[in-house]
Amino acid sequence: MIFFLGNFFLIFLMTAPARASSILGGEWEKLFKERVTFAGFIENTTGLSIVAGDSKFTTSNRFIMNRFVIQPEFNFDFDERVKLFISWRFVKEPRYNKEARDRRRNVPSLSPLENTFYDEDSLKPWEMVWDIHPIDRLSLRIGRQFISWGETDGLRLLDVINPQDGTFSPPAAANLFSLDETRIPLWGLRASYRLVPASNTALEFIAMPGYDERRKRVDESAPTAGRWAPHPETRIALGRLFANPIGAAPVVIPSISRVWPDAGDNWRIGGRVIHSIGKLNFGLGYIWGFNPQPGDLTFKLLGTSLGPGGTTIARLRLFNDRTSIFAGHFNYPLEQLKTALKGEIALYPSKPFNISKYPGSSGLKAGPHPRHGDGITEKNTLRYSLGLDRSTLIPFLHPDDPWRVFNLSFQIFQSIIFDHEDGIRAFSTAEKIKQVSTSLTFRVSTGYFGDTVLPDVFVGYDPEGYWLANPAVSYVPPWNEKMRLSLIAALYGGRNKFKSFGSFDEKDSIFLKMRYQF
Amino acid sequence: MKFIVHYPSPLAFRFAIRESRIALHGFLLGLLLLLIGPSELSGQQAEPKPGDTIGPHNWERVKGMVGDNLLDRIKQGYSFKIKEPTRYDVPREYVEATKRYSGKVRLGADGELLNYVAGRPFPQIEPRDPQAGQKVAWNFYWRWQGDDFKNGGGTQAGKVIRYAIEKDGSERRADFVAYFLFPRTRVTLDPKPVIPGYEHIDSLQLRIDSYPRDSAGTATFEIRYADPKRPDDLYLYIPSLRRIRRASTTQRCQTLAPSEFNLDDIDFFRGKITDFNYRLLGEKKALVNYAQKNVPYQRKQGDYLPIDEMWEIQDVYVLEITPKDPSYCYPKKILWVDKVAYEATWGMTWDRKGDYWKELALFRIPAKLPDGQVAWQQGTGYGVNVQNGRSTVLTTTRAYNQGFSPSLFTLDTMQRIMRGGNVE
Repeated sequence: MIFFLGNFFLIFLMTAPARASSILGGEWEKLFKERVTFAGFIENTTGLSIVAGDSKFTTSNRFIMNRFVIQPEFNFDFDERVKLFISWRFVKEPRYNKEARDRRRNVPSLSPLENTFYDEDSLKPWEMVWDIHPIDRLSLRIGRQFISWGETDGLRLLDVINPQDGTFSPPAAANLFSLDETRIPLWGLRASYRLVPASNTALEFIAMPGYDERRKRVDESAPTAGRWAPHPETRIALGRLFANPIGAAPVVIPSISRVWPDAGDNWRIGGRVIHSIGKLNFGLGYIWGFNPQPGDLTFKLLGTSLGPGGTTIARLRLFNDRTSIFAGHFNYPLEQLKTALKGEIALYPSKPFNISKYPGSSGLKAGPHPRHGDGITEKNTLRYSLGLDRSTLIPFLHPDDPWRVFNLSFQIFQSIIFDHEDGIRAFSTAEKIKQVSTSLTFRVSTGYFGDTVLPDVFVGYDPEGYWLANPAVSYVPPWNEKMRLSLIAALYGGRNKFKSFGSFDEKDSIFLKMRYQF
Repeated sequence: MKFIVHYPSPLAFRFAIRESRIALHGFLLGLLLLLIGPSELSGQQAEPKPGDTIGPHNWERVKGMVGDNLLDRIKQGYSFKIKEPTRYDVPREYVEATKRYSGKVRLGADGELLNYVAGRPFPQIEPRDPQAGQKVAWNFYWRWQGDDFKNGGGTQAGKVIRYAIEKDGSERRADFVAYFLFPRTRVTLDPKPVIPGYEHIDSLQLRIDSYPRDSAGTATFEIRYADPKRPDDLYLYIPSLRRIRRASTTQRCQTLAPSEFNLDDIDFFRGKITDFNYRLLGEKKALVNYAQKNVPYQRKQGDYLPIDEMWEIQDVYVLEITPKDPSYCYPKKILWVDKVAYEATWGMTWDRKGDYWKELALFRIPAKLPDGQVAWQQGTGYGVNVQNGRSTVLTTTRAYNQGFSPSLFTLDTMQRIMRGGNVE
């Protein structure tokens, strides 16, 4: 709050005209007209499951989302050295009342679900950055912000500085909510110094204390560990490692705790250098402290016990709050192929993994590993991606405008665990993690009828046999640039055993987004 | 404004040939007049004069002076008045640089420019010169545009206002700003003529969409190298990812949504000069407007043509441009290039079937430079895709010689673009 008030005080000081007598006069109006811009959007997203639930909408899992968002944004252009961007994000996503009713009926012993599924109603700015340029080549960005490193599209590899909001399910649906809408802003500092502008050589330093986000982003108690658990993070299949409980009822209650680090330990610090040599543009950097992706979440198993109603309680503790990443990225145009090559690399020394014995010894689907009693092992891990971006003309698919291009993007992601051990499994799905795991993505987009109809298809494939498809088509009326309607599907499939992408196959769903920009 | 022609084209040789044929032409013309009678030509073929009104009743008088699409619109009812021609002075620093450096400028074997420093490379164009087209192209490329400028900097809103118009008259607005820096050919701003470290770069362009909100912040950063064999570097910043993407050169042909323009259509033609072949087809009179009355010009909702602007007659070169790469999106483009400023005033494009495809026209307005000189700048223009009926109207006034730092034109700048924000 002090920071918030402090910012407003600074705004007041910097926008106040010199003469107090003009505070209510034309100078203010002129100043705001010249230096302040206002924009934002209103959006409503409705989602329906297309494979689960009753056609009459009498079950909880048919109507899966109705999210309403308002995001006002202001730019204050004080002068060439100081600028401020500030936005607020207000979200209201009520819970489908059938869901609460089902819970009351099926698990009466548990407390009723709240009607609110996901809200953002804080007056604290969503994003609030001061851009300061004390000298020509130095830029400082201070405030609650997003910092994105990397080159990939749809999936994140180096883009792990800001956490991603797990509420925005289903996963890897790049066409439903863009990365910019699913990242969670953090307070921090980004400083960059353009060492040699002609070669795009720049030094970048980031520091994010991360002191105010810890309470919300990792589920502290997830009573049902399912899609409809009260905490949105548990929409991922959190408890698959413990899917066959020792209790009578087929329910495991993960009791999750997290030892909060001291403020100093919770910092995320990083730096990188970016440079161009000939046609090659690249960056090398280091991040200490990051935000694990859902698939990276690693928990120590502290023990199990019987819970209410014959359920099982698995006591877990989140382990990997932070780690080190040696990072690199590059892009390079292949002129002969009219294609741009891009890549990212991330080396995680001693990255923690959950490890277990499968099947478990005490009735659990997977149980404690004989050599790793706490279910954790640390391995040096390398992740990289390579991608090709190409814009191409396909005239026969564009009879109305043969020169409208198709944007094609192909990516391969690989993860390599050095000194791999048998038994390493993803906590979220209990899926076995091999020494080398691979995912492929492909995206194609174009515009029809003067870019009023915009199809965009994002697909992912795991050679293990999982796939996802995220087709979307948007309509921008030719008479109003502010409106946009999008119909989006999120489809998952493949091998139906523990599953990775496929863990969401029962959530195949369609969404209608209505967006108005102002 | 006074008429100062700094670089008159020496057409003496051509005139001599013409003179030798004048007697014959005069005889034939007289014979023709006798045969068809004076009433058939009364006023219809005469060059329009200031004060004349052009419309469907006398469209023949401007035939060949406007693009075919506009001529069709005149036939269908569009009318306007002719005004006195407007003249601008070429900024004196540019004239001095031309005098100082142009003497050593030559064309290389592949049409590349050798020994060029600043100013106009070829102040004298000889139409019979087989390399005249290439020289006009280089004069167009290195025309005076200030040492830097901001597109949109001359409007009250500080950005380029652009409307995409559908065939049925529906309109959408999409605004942007664009910053240009010419770091090795500077004639006004220090350091001159080159910013140290930028000897190998012809131009830097940073283009940022600013409206509507969802596209605001989308940016294109282009580095054009002096090396004729080195392709441009092109980067895109995508705000929904907050990441920079390397773009392939194919994207130069990509239509810039929602307009009918692509990257090479900016300023009529922004292709790399050495990637194309050029032919000077001749000289002619063209209808233009170098002193637009209203900025942007008044027009009917859903139409791209101005309703209260007058047109004027100016001398232009007709330059044909054909790509060396057969897969390039434009097989042929023709520019009408002003003979004083070497700015293009009309642009016409044909598709691979040889059908007329796009027509661009751009008005001008005076630009007051920071040092008090008055030069020209772009005003409002339109582009029509005659095949699908879509058009784009944009007002792209400029602020010249703003003293932009080279560090503005970096990838780092792209990463600090905020939606709707200003990077200056």
